[in-house]
Amino acid sequence: MSSNQLTLAPAPPSEAAERVRLEVREFLAQELAAGTFTTHVDTWLSGVDPEFSRKLGARGWLGMTWPKEYGGHERTAQERYAVTEELLAAGAPVAAHWIADRQSGPNLLRYGTEAQRKEILPRIAAGQCYFVIGMSEPDSGSDLASIRTRGVRNADGDFVVNGAKIWTSNAHHSHYGIVLVRTGPPGEGPRGKHQGLTQLLVDLSLPGISINPIRILDGGHHFNEVVFTDVVVPGDMLLGTEGAGWHQVTAELAFERSGPERFLSTWPLLAEFGRRAAATRDPAQLAVLGRLSSRALALRQLSLRIAAALDRGELPDIPAALVKDMGTTFEQDVVDEVRRVVDVPASLDSPDPLGRALAEAQLHAPGYTLRGGTNEILKGIVARGLGLR
Amino acid sequence: MASDQDLVVETVRDILSGHEPFVLTAERPWDAGLWSALAEAGLTGVGLPEEAGGSGGELADAVAIVRTLAAGAAAVPVAEQLLVAGPALVAADLDLPSPEEPLTVAVEGTVAAEPSDDGDGPGRFVLTGTATDVPWAGVARHVAVLAAAPPGIEGAVLAVVDVSGLTASSAVNLAGEPRGSLVLDGVGVPGALLTPARAATLRARYALTRAVQISAALEQVLAWTVQYAGERQQFGRPLGKFQAIQMELAQMAGEVTSTAALVDAAVQALGRGEETVALAAAAAKVRAGEAVERVAKLAHQVHGAIGFTQEYRLHHLTRRCWSWRDEAGTELAWSRLLGEALVAAGPDDVWPAFTAVV
Repeated sequence: MSSNQLTLAPAPPSEAAERVRLEVREFLAQELAAGTFTTHVDTWLSGVDPEFSRKLGARGWLGMTWPKEYGGHERTAQERYAVTEELLAAGAPVAAHWIADRQSGPNLLRYGTEAQRKEILPRIAAGQCYFVIGMSEPDSGSDLASIRTRGVRNADGDFVVNGAKIWTSNAHHSHYGIVLVRTGPPGEGPRGKHQGLTQLLVDLSLPGISINPIRILDGGHHFNEVVFTDVVVPGDMLLGTEGAGWHQVTAELAFERSGPERFLSTWPLLAEFGRRAAATRDPAQLAVLGRLSSRALALRQLSLRIAAALDRGELPDIPAALVKDMGTTFEQDVVDEVRRVVDVPASLDSPDPLGRALAEAQLHAPGYTLRGGTNEILKGIVARGLGLR
Repeated sequence: MASDQDLVVETVRDILSGHEPFVLTAERPWDAGLWSALAEAGLTGVGLPEEAGGSGGELADAVAIVRTLAAGAAAVPVAEQLLVAGPALVAADLDLPSPEEPLTVAVEGTVAAEPSDDGDGPGRFVLTGTATDVPWAGVARHVAVLAAAPPGIEGAVLAVVDVSGLTASSAVNLAGEPRGSLVLDGVGVPGALLTPARAATLRARYALTRAVQISAALEQVLAWTVQYAGERQQFGRPLGKFQAIQMELAQMAGEVTSTAALVDAAVQALGRGEETVALAAAAAKVRAGEAVERVAKLAHQVHGAIGFTQEYRLHHLTRRCWSWRDEAGTELAWSRLLGEALVAAGPDDVWPAFTAVV
């Protein structure tokens, strides 16, 4: 295995991470006791609560790894990892800031101009500025490089953007999008279409942008279609290098695909199941709890390794694809495994919290293995890491 | 991995290259020649302190040796000696037999220990009963036996038995590795009382050792399968160019990589002497066992019929993995133990218990 691209060095133990973990745990216990939020499944998609996000910002738990000059806190990726894990395990409402803190901020740090960083990063770290991902389009899902949204330079050097982005989570609550557009022609050959793509930093309040809701199957409004009609994006909102969008997106995906939200979306269900097993002491339930936990513990080690690699400035896109494939499969399996050993029907109206958690987790389940790259695409990336492509 | 371990691995590989895996039989139940070569090189005492008669070195060195031998389907009791029985005897202040003679471990069965009244003072016990599922029974010269403590005393007794002269039953595991029983008929042996926690740690070490072996073997199985898929041509192109095969190989890689990450973490916890190592080992054993299920199945699927034959190498590892996952405690036993531990602190504290495992 050392000869392939899937293996990363183990993350060293971090006392600082364990300290901040306990601080977050304490904070969440207080917030739960005060009733400022209630635990739900998959809250990094569905739990939008700007006030909660601002509280996290005030405590220094957003933009944790960024330089202080941009509002960050210069802490390690492992400390950030511990914070995000605690928030997810508690099912806290973190969706408002999630994308900005996870990938848009790091993307700006890596590729943004000084003005862009100074303007935006402190607001993200304060929990006040939220981002959407502008990658997928109505006709371009897995085949991302086939996008058709165009950005054409006008006489002033601004980009005139036309097209549409889709599945943009919480665009209706967000301030900016990092939008992948075609600004130049594709090149020759099978990978030629990776050329001519550019990332733009788009203020979602610009004229010509309309945000249309797309309801997921349970009626929840998290996704949107964002339509751009002759939207004039100022030239200084180019992110990074014109034409280098594909490379930048690949870097962004290492952040997008490797975090604990890729295996903890259904932890609140597992915690509720643990409560049940603690009460019944049913051997079959305890065994399932142990088995699922062993899978989660392995995923956690993989995810931690990637966090440490990102900290070292590496871009482990292939291990990130692997952990997301394994992790999101696990998220779905939690539902299947739990329901086999509890006699509890899944229902949002269930008097039993376990029934409600099962219902929430089941209704969101199809999304786990689609968002951020389908598991088929991810396995293709892993196959490349094995040298098969 | 540090360069120290690279050197150890290289040495073991050199020795292994002269000892191809073979089908184990009653006449040839282990690779005695390989053992001699390893013992001569001092590799059967690595990780055991020099003052106890070992070769010195770190846990990581011993693990590297065990991994390399597991990936090579080596039919020798090195894993039992370096990672389980040897360290357990050292921790219990019992004399370590010469590392040049194979030492194994027995944790199952009906063996009971009574303090000996043969006048030799404390530290001697009489063992009575049958030790079952003993790895390398009939091959190993000494067995570290975990026996029931005398009535009214908590914990267990760890005793060292010289089994030369004893007959082992002929049971073998799915790979033909000896796993027989030993009848102990009132033998007087040196031993030490272990607290329940120490006895649990010994069982955990054993389980983690099997997880280490599985992890290494599955990495090799993946490598063989990727190689085979690159070489075998059908419909005018290598199997590995078919998307269906790529998906299977990617799934195998996911299992192998996940298992390795957790097993490594559990080994590091063992190296740091953490109290929670029993749970880390439990998780690693369960995860490794689950990986065997998918990786072995897919490896055979990709290899096609040739991988189902005795002449082809694949079964040397898949049969071992199918056995190792059941040995040292089944997945069901360890997953229950882990589940019980996770709810032990209370119904609302499953998550804190989870994050404390490893």
